[in-house]
Amino acid sequence: MEATLEQHLDDTMKNPAIVGVLCTDAQGHNLGCRGSLSDEHGGVVSVLAKQAASLTKDPTDTPTVCLESDSGTVLVRTHGTITVAMHKMVS
Amino acid sequence: MTTALTQGLERIPGQLGYLVISEDGVLASSGELENDERAAGVIMQMVRTACRFRLHGAAEPPLKRMSVIFEDYVYAVTISGQKVFVVKRQNNQREPVTA
Repeated sequence: MEATLEQHLDDTMKNPAIVGVLCTDAQGHNLGCRGSLSDEHGGVVSVLAKQAASLTKDPTDTPTVCLESDSGTVLVRTHGTITVAMHKMVS
Repeated sequence: MTTALTQGLERIPGQLGYLVISEDGVLASSGELENDERAAGVIMQMVRTACRFRLHGAAEPPLKRMSVIFEDYVYAVTISGQKVFVVKRQNNQREPVTA
């Protein structure tokens, strides 16, 4: 299972616009990461996803959080029990 | 003062409601976000969390804009002059088709 996740992370990094990717669980534990996103970002990513989900009463409406800064865009979305963060640079 | 603060927000296309929040609380609210202290609290928490997100070598302040995108609507959040501006807008974007 881990090999599949690692392969997905490698495949994601093949996209030239993506400079970092991270998978975390609900507790902020790092399940796998590449590039600019690392262990230290797991906590913030999982907390942001949880806070965003609390903005709606509909549990099936999963939000995407998008953080824009001079250093690019970070997208955060929860899929089941896993939260994925992706760091994209505008090219 | 409130009028000057919100006159631009009123004119945003697809706007369903807005909040203007400072550290002391909600300064202005309208539409679907009128008096929505709960949403204001959650969004302020999110702004504080997002500001802790540091990328290596990133210039400060790290956050220019935060969007929380739901199926039918988006919360667009910006920070300006110690105030947090939140606009709830219709989301007309279509989901990308997965092949």
